[in-house]
Amino acid sequence: MAALKQEEMLSFAEYAVAYALKKGSEEAEAYVFQGLTTMVDIDRGQIAKSSKRIDIGLGIRAVLNKAIGFSYTNILDTKTAIEENVLKTLSSAKASKPDRNWKGFPNKRTFSATRNIYDKRILELSSEDLVQVTSVMLDAAETTDKRVFPIQGEVGASYHSRAIANSNGVSGFDEGTMIECSLATIAREGNEVTPVCFEFNGERSYNIDPKWVGKEAAKLAASALHSKIVETKSMSIVFTQFALHELLYYTLMNAVKADYVQRNQSALKDKIGEKVASDAVTICDDGLLEGGMRTWKFDSEGVPQQRTKIIEKGVLQGFIYDNYTANKEGKESTGNAARNAYLSTPNLDVTNFKIMAGKESADALISEVKNGLLVSYLQGAHSSNPASGDFSVVATPAWKIENGKIAHATRGAMIAGNIFEVLKNVSALASNERKVGPLVAPWILVENVKVIGR
Amino acid sequence: MASEKFNAEYVEIRAQRLFKTMLTLKEDRVEAAKQGIENGVALRVLVNGAWGFASIGTFNPEVLKKALSDACKMAKAASSKIKTPIKLVETKAVEDKVKAKPKKNPADVSAEDKIKMTMEISETILNHDKRVKNCTIDYLDLTGTNFFINNNGTYIEQDKLYVWSRITATATEAGVLAFSREEIGSTAGYEIFDVETPQNVGTQVAKRAIEQLKAKSPKGGAFPVVLGPNVVGVFVHEAFGHLAEADLTLAGSVLMDKMGKKIASESVTFYDDGTIEGAFGSFKYDDEGVPTQKTLLVKDGVVVGLMHNRETAKKFNTEVTGNARAEDFRYEPIVRMRNTFIAPKDHSFEELIEDIKFGYYFKSFRGGQANLDGTFQVGIQEAYEIVKGEIGEPVRDASISGNTLETLHKVEAVGKDFTLWPGRCGKGQTAFVCEGGPHVKVKEVLVGGSA
Repeated sequence: MAALKQEEMLSFAEYAVAYALKKGSEEAEAYVFQGLTTMVDIDRGQIAKSSKRIDIGLGIRAVLNKAIGFSYTNILDTKTAIEENVLKTLSSAKASKPDRNWKGFPNKRTFSATRNIYDKRILELSSEDLVQVTSVMLDAAETTDKRVFPIQGEVGASYHSRAIANSNGVSGFDEGTMIECSLATIAREGNEVTPVCFEFNGERSYNIDPKWVGKEAAKLAASALHSKIVETKSMSIVFTQFALHELLYYTLMNAVKADYVQRNQSALKDKIGEKVASDAVTICDDGLLEGGMRTWKFDSEGVPQQRTKIIEKGVLQGFIYDNYTANKEGKESTGNAARNAYLSTPNLDVTNFKIMAGKESADALISEVKNGLLVSYLQGAHSSNPASGDFSVVATPAWKIENGKIAHATRGAMIAGNIFEVLKNVSALASNERKVGPLVAPWILVENVKVIGR
Repeated sequence: MASEKFNAEYVEIRAQRLFKTMLTLKEDRVEAAKQGIENGVALRVLVNGAWGFASIGTFNPEVLKKALSDACKMAKAASSKIKTPIKLVETKAVEDKVKAKPKKNPADVSAEDKIKMTMEISETILNHDKRVKNCTIDYLDLTGTNFFINNNGTYIEQDKLYVWSRITATATEAGVLAFSREEIGSTAGYEIFDVETPQNVGTQVAKRAIEQLKAKSPKGGAFPVVLGPNVVGVFVHEAFGHLAEADLTLAGSVLMDKMGKKIASESVTFYDDGTIEGAFGSFKYDDEGVPTQKTLLVKDGVVVGLMHNRETAKKFNTEVTGNARAEDFRYEPIVRMRNTFIAPKDHSFEELIEDIKFGYYFKSFRGGQANLDGTFQVGIQEAYEIVKGEIGEPVRDASISGNTLETLHKVEAVGKDFTLWPGRCGKGQTAFVCEGGPHVKVKEVLVGGSA
C-alpha cells in the first residue's frame, strides 16, 4: 500500500539535511510524512461515497544566526525539487529574526518501544471490505429503532509513516495504522427532533466493532426523545468521555503545556506540588500507551515519546515539553512535539492524555446521584476561556438523573463554571475507560456544577 | 476515459497549485518564517449513482490515470449498497479565466515586510499596558490557481488569493486571566493592512483584554439582549446558516419542512452572498464550476431559499446557488456558506437599548456552535450590562443559548448599521467566510453565567 518505502523516506530526509548544511545552514532538520487513507461515507441514510487520499510531503527547518526558517513541499519527484525546497527554507531563515532562546535541535536519544500501533490487516482492506463494514454499522442502527435516522457516518482505514533526520545525527522511521468507524444519528417523533447523537470506535489494530457503534448511536438518539427543560440549580454531573474530551481539550490540555506556562497563559503556573484536583484524579500523558491513537516511537522532532506524570492523586506533578520549551528551563523534552502532517513546524501537544479509571461500573456511578445530569456531549466548548478555564456551554444530549436513575432527556440546559473547580469537585470515576481522540478516560462524576435551565 | 470504461455519469477534475506564506509570532519572537508549496489533484466521479473520490499530491500523468480508475472503482464499490441513486441538477457549461487583481499582491511583499508588520502588532499590544503578558499572532497568505474541468463542458481557471491573520492576547492581574482575540481576512490583497493597521488591531485586542480584567461574571438566566454585528454574524452563521445548508436541511435540520413558512419576526431578512468584492467568503465560481450569487434565504421572516450544490438542488428540484466549496484538493466540494448576514433596517443603537431595564449587550464573540435540532450556543468575549437603558459594567466569559426558531421570533428590532466580519468555518474541512449584520435586539435569550 505504501507509495514510499522506509529507505526512500529516510534518504529524502537525510539528503535534505545534508544539502541544507552544504548551502550554509548552521543546523537543519527534515521531516517526511506519508498518509494514505481509504474511506467509505454514509450520507443521509445510505452509503453514498468512497474515497482515497494520498498525501506525501517534506518539511524542512534550517537555522541561520538563531533565526529559523521552515519550508514544505509535496513535490518530491526529483532531487532538484528537494534542493529547491531547501533553498526556500534558507531564504525564510534569512528573512526571519534571531531567537535568543534557541539552543538547537534535539540530540540523538534511543527511541522508545511501542506496542500494537501497526496492523498489516488494515493495509489489506479494499474499498469493498470497507463498504461491508459500513453496511454492518448502518444496518445495526436502522434495525435498532425505527425513529432513528443515520444522517452521516464513515469508516476509514489509514496508514501513516514518518521519517526524521537532523544535523545532530537523529535519524528515524516509524509507521502505524488506524481504523475508525463513526455514526451520527438523530431521532424524530411527531414534531420533536433530537440533537445529533454520535458514536465512534477507533483503533490502531483491526478490532473495531461497527455493529456496536451502529446500535449505540441509534439507542442514544432514541433515548434523547421526549426531552424536558430542567431547573436552574447546582447539581451533580456525570460526564461521558465525549463531553469530557470537549471540556478538557480547550482548557486543561492547554494549561499543562510548558509553552502556556512559560508565557503566563496557564492557570497552573507555579502550582507544581500543589493540590489542583480532588484525590480521585490521577492523570498522565502516555505517549507509549499500547494501541494509543497518538502512540509513536518518537515525536515530530525525533525525541523518544514517554509517559509523563501530570497529576497524581490531585497533586500537580509536571508539564509537557517539546525541545524548545525544555531547553528554556534546562530540562529534557518529554517528547510532546506534534505536527500537522508535513505542513507545519512542530507544536507542543498532548499525546494520549490518560485519566486513571476507578473501580465502579458506570451504572454504579449513576446510582450515586440523587439529583443531576448525565452529559454525553457539549456544544460550544471551544468558546471556553483558554487561559482561565472558564466555560459556559450547552449540554446536549443530556439526561436528568433522579434518585440514582435516568429520569428523562433534557433540552437546552447550559452548564457554566471553571475547569479547575470541576477538577477539585470530581468525586468518583467509573471503570469504563475508552479512547476518544487524545483522551483516554472513564465517565467521571463531578459535584456542584451550575446548571442553567429556564 | 472514466465515462467510457466505467460508465461514469459525471467526471470532474480539480487541479491546484498553491503557495503559502505563514508566520507565528509569540510576543517579540518569530517562531519561524514559513512557506510552502502544494500541488494536487482531486478527481470526483459519479458511477451508478454513487460518488468516488481520489486525491493525490502530484500532476504525474501515470499517477493521475491510476487515481481516476481508483475513483471509479471506489464509486462502484459504494454503489453496491445505494438505495436512492445520486443525481445532479443540470448546469450551464462555462469557460472562463479569472485573474486576481490585488492592489498589493501578498506574493510580491517580502517576508521581511510581513515580519515587520506582525512585529508592529505585537509591539502595540505589549506596550499598551503592563498587565498584557503575552500575545500570539498568526499570519497566512495563500495564492495560486485552481483549474476545473468536468464532462459537462465546463473549464475554469481561477486565481485564489487569501490574506488572513489571527491576533490573541492574555492579560493577568490578581489571579484573573483575561483573553482577547481578533481576526482579519480578505480576498482583495495585502492592502487589507492599510485599513486594519497594526496599530488599530493591536490596540483593539489589548484594550479588550485589559477591560476584561475588571469585568464581572454574568448572571445565569433569561434576559433581554442587544447583539452587536459581530455576535449577530456568528448567530446568523451558526444558529441559522448551517440549518439552511441544503445537505444539513435534508439530514433533518429543523428547516426541513419550513420552506415558504414564517420562522422569524418580520424584521428578519437573511442573505448568503458570494459576490461582495474583497470579502473573505467571496469567489466567482464555486468548486463545481457554478457561478456564485447573492442568495436570499429569509425574506421578512419567511424562508424563501436554501444554499445548494448540484446534488441538493436536484433533490429540491430547484436551481444551484453556487455554494459548493472544497478547502483544497484533499477534499470534495460540499455545501458551504460564503458571506452570510442579516439585512439592516431602521433603528439606532440608542433606540435598541433604551427600553431595557436590565439586560446584556453582547459585543464580540469567541466561538459558536449549532445543532440540527436548532440548539445554538455562542460564547462571548466582550459584553456589558444594560441597566435602565444605558450601557453599564463589562461582563466576562458569558455565553448565550437557545433554540434558533424560538429566538428568531423574539427579534424585536433590527438596527440600521452594518458590519461584516471574516471568519473560518469548520464542517470536516475549513472554509473562509464572512458573517455579520447590524445591531439586533432580542426580547429574551438564555445567558449561561456562573454568578
